[in-house]
Amino acid sequence: MTVERIVVVGAGAAGFRAAERLRQLGFDGEVVMIGDEPRKPYHRPAVCKALLCGSRKARDVTLEAAVELDVGWRLGTRAIGLDTARHAVLLPGGEEVGYDGLILATGGYPRSLPGAPRHDPRVRVLRTVEDAEGVQAALRTSRLPAVVVGGGFIGCEFAASMRAMGREVIVVNNSAKLLHRFGDAIADAAGDLHAGHRVDTRSNARIRKWDTGRDGVGLHLDNGDVVFAACVVLAVGSTPSVEWLRGSGLRVDDGVFCEPTLFAAGVDDVAVAGDIARWPNLRFDPVPRRVEHWITAVEGGRAAAENLLAGKWAAKPFTPLPRAWTSQFDVRVQHVGMPALATDTVPLDAGVTGFVRAGNLVAVATWDRPHAMLDWTATLDRLLPVPTAGRRPRARPPRDGIPARVLIERHYASRHSFDGPNGIMTGQ
Amino acid sequence: MRRGRGRATVVRVDNDRCELYGICVAEAPEVFRLSDNRLRHGRRIDPADEIAVAAAARNCPMQAIRLRESAR
Repeated sequence: MTVERIVVVGAGAAGFRAAERLRQLGFDGEVVMIGDEPRKPYHRPAVCKALLCGSRKARDVTLEAAVELDVGWRLGTRAIGLDTARHAVLLPGGEEVGYDGLILATGGYPRSLPGAPRHDPRVRVLRTVEDAEGVQAALRTSRLPAVVVGGGFIGCEFAASMRAMGREVIVVNNSAKLLHRFGDAIADAAGDLHAGHRVDTRSNARIRKWDTGRDGVGLHLDNGDVVFAACVVLAVGSTPSVEWLRGSGLRVDDGVFCEPTLFAAGVDDVAVAGDIARWPNLRFDPVPRRVEHWITAVEGGRAAAENLLAGKWAAKPFTPLPRAWTSQFDVRVQHVGMPALATDTVPLDAGVTGFVRAGNLVAVATWDRPHAMLDWTATLDRLLPVPTAGRRPRARPPRDGIPARVLIERHYASRHSFDGPNGIMTGQ
Repeated sequence: MRRGRGRATVVRVDNDRCELYGICVAEAPEVFRLSDNRLRHGRRIDPADEIAVAAAARNCPMQAIRLRESAR
């Protein structure tokens, strides 16, 4: 089959880097990019920081391609269906775009909260340039505080942005601590940091009732508190944008089921990248999972493009070590690996938390320690090697694992003990 | 990256944007280095490091790294 047209659905980081990679690899057929936002791909992580604060405009954060993209753009257009039997993407108005190869990268929608009055323009989510502009407009309606629901990355970044803009801000968090997924040490540090910058955090709080009055939005919390806000941002996670794929012939359930190579399961001309790809990352285990981190979207987009061009039987597994970052009040919080897999956390060093599953390190998070993050990224890369076909990776820890305590002691005893050719497998 | 003889890739970092996460150091340790709250980097890139530098640029959390070609 001669591949003549590759369609990329989704114009975020994953779709953009996929298109770029197709051209880098010399694909000279047609590339069509379909995106529901009205603008060309931009740097989404800037939305709740530089764009929200107004220190950068949308045009300042447009992504730059390393090569000429030569793409046919269908922006402001939401794909509404896919027919894998006829190899066509369905667009509104009865339009169909046929493909020889397809890359799906439609990302996620911000989650809403049951009962949240989203029809009120002051109750918003934060994912796009337009969302940032909407929040700015809502903030201008009064001098009341801003409220963000959620104490994760976006919630904390939003709070920091509000303080940078001189606004009062209240974080309504249904967990006991901010950034609670990063272990107690980082969560406690985040709590102190935000409190020190006069962020008002309401912990273990749920919203019982909403009032949308003329002068502000009232939130009745389940502890009896009532807070009034100029604007409420819902930062309670995201959900993969895959409803449009129902009936397509692809297996869709919390994302699109993929093979280790990011090929959609069951077909040989569709690859998937970014937040919607549910694939087994063979570095960790054979369980298909989604990863909602920007760097994984960037590298996944490239891998999807490479594998689509290589063909299903020559494709290589996508085995990233997921990495993510956030910055709040000039403190850099970073992690590497898959913290969500861990059943326990252990302190590895000042500002460094290890995440352990069955005695094995599966992730590391750091509190303003970028040098330590570099060291631990290299260490984790050795502890979780990419398996090669037909052979167990040599440095993989034994089945029953090495207790984190031993691992940590070894790390302290000699940072280079992991550097040997056999890693910790030799168990010296 | 297509290139003729006598061309080199030149790296520029926008230090106003850079927040020193060190992602570029992980991608291209031969070119980038974190030191004393500053990112140090080579300017003209050895052809052997071009792939790594491109990875650093596209993965930069602040999109602060610009690559361009220039005559040697």
